Amino acid sequence: MDERGFVAAQAFILDTKKYWSTAVVSSLKSEYRRRVRSTGHEPQSAADVHSLIGDTTLYRYYAWLERHLQRLKYSGRYGLVPYHRERADALLAPLEQAADDSRLELDPDLVLPKYFAAVDIHQHPGSVWGEPIAGLVYERGARSTTPMMGSRHRDLHQRFTDLVNEGGACKHLLDMGCGFGKSTKPFYESLPEAEIEAIDLATPCLKLACHDAVQAQAQNVRFRQMNAYETDYEAGSFDLVTSTMLLHELPPKEINRLFDEAHRVLAPGGRMVHLDFHLLPDAFAQFLHYGHGRRNNEPFMQPWAEIDVAELLAQKGFRNVSVEPFAEADGVDVTDNPSWRFPWTVIAAEKA
Amino acid sequence: MSNERGASEQTFFDDPALDRAFGVVMALATEVYVLRDRLRAMEGLLDKAGVVSTDALDAPPSDAATQASEADRQAFVAGLMEPLLGRQASKGASGEADYG
Repeated sequence: MDERGFVAAQAFILDTKKYWSTAVVSSLKSEYRRRVRSTGHEPQSAADVHSLIGDTTLYRYYAWLERHLQRLKYSGRYGLVPYHRERADALLAPLEQAADDSRLELDPDLVLPKYFAAVDIHQHPGSVWGEPIAGLVYERGARSTTPMMGSRHRDLHQRFTDLVNEGGACKHLLDMGCGFGKSTKPFYESLPEAEIEAIDLATPCLKLACHDAVQAQAQNVRFRQMNAYETDYEAGSFDLVTSTMLLHELPPKEINRLFDEAHRVLAPGGRMVHLDFHLLPDAFAQFLHYGHGRRNNEPFMQPWAEIDVAELLAQKGFRNVSVEPFAEADGVDVTDNPSWRFPWTVIAAEKA
Repeated sequence: MSNERGASEQTFFDDPALDRAFGVVMALATEVYVLRDRLRAMEGLLDKAGVVSTDALDAPPSDAATQASEADRQAFVAGLMEPLLGRQASKGASGEADYG
C-alpha cells in the first residue's frame, strides 16, 4: 500500500472513532437516561444496564463500531499490521542496530505466561510480542488509543510522571510492564540522577524502547526482559515502583503476585504508584468499560476493576494507600465526561 | 464461528449477516475516503502545474453540463437500486434446494 493511502485510511478510521466517542456515546447516554427515567429506578449493576439498553439498535451499533474500528485500524486492508509488514526490513534496521546496546538485556529463555500468550491483546494480530514489527505496530497504534486526546496523548505520561515526582525525586526506580518505553521516557528525562530499571515481557517492545533511549542519549535507564511478578532484583532494591496500564492486563492471581513482588523489591518507606483503569463511578460506566474489555480483547479488565484494591494493599501491609481518579488532560470530568474516556485511576501506597 | 487464530466471532445484531454486511460498508467507506484524498491531492498537483484550475473544478456545472450528465446519473442510480426490487434476470431453478 502507498503511504498516502495508509495515512488517509488511518485518518478516516480515527475520525470515525472520534465521531463514535462523541456523537454515538452521547446519544447512547441520552437514550439510557431516558429509559432510566421511564422505569423510575437507577440501575445498580452492569447487568441492569444491559437489560435496559443492551438490545437497542443504537447500542448494537455502538458495540459493533468499537469492535470493528479497532479491527480496521490493526488488520484491515490499510491496517497497521499489513503496513508495517510491507516495510519490515527498512523499519527494523535501526532497532536492530540499537539491540547490542548495554541498555538492553533480553532473556532468550523467558517463558511467556499462558494468560499473556493466549489472547491477541487490543485486537493486535500476533499481539505485542509475536513478530519483530510488533513494537512498532503497538507504538503507532497507541498514538490514537485515546482518540479525543490526539497529540496530547504524550501529556498523559508526563502528567503521571509529574504527579509521581511531586512525592519526591527517587534514586532507584522500577517501571513494571514498560512496553515500548512510553511510560519510562518522562521518568528517565526528568530524573537524570536516578537509576531506572524498566522491565517487560515483549522483545519487540523492549528493542524499540532501547532504540528510543539511545536516540535520547539517556544514560540512566536499562530495559530488561522480565516478568513483573517474578523479578530477579534483590529485596529492598528500589525506592519507587511504577507501572502504567499494566495491572488491567493481568488476571487477579498475577495481580496479587505483582503487589507482593513490588512490596519485596521496595525498600522500607519506598513508594508504589500505578496508573491504570479502575474507578468506575456508576453502573453505566461499568457497563461500557466491561464491554470495552471484551471487544478490545482485554479479558482481565473487568476482574481487575472488581478488585477492592485498597483493601488488598492494606492486607499486604502497605500504608498510606490511596486510589484516586486521574484527569488525563485539562478539562475532563472524571465522574461524567461527555465523550468516551478510560476510567484513569492512580493507585499509590507505601511500604511500611 | 472460530477463525484460524482460534477466536470466536463477536456479533452484535440478531442476524450475523448484518454484522458482516456492515463490515463491507465500512471497508467500502474507507476505500471511498482513500480515493477522495488521492483525487484532491491530484487536483492540487495539477492546479500547481497549471493543467487544471481547482476553482473551475469547484464551480457549479452549467445547466447544459447537468443535463448532459443526466443519463449517466440515472443509469448509475438504476444500477445501484435495482437489486432491491428482487427481479430475476434469468429463468432458472427455485432458490430452495430440494434434497428430498
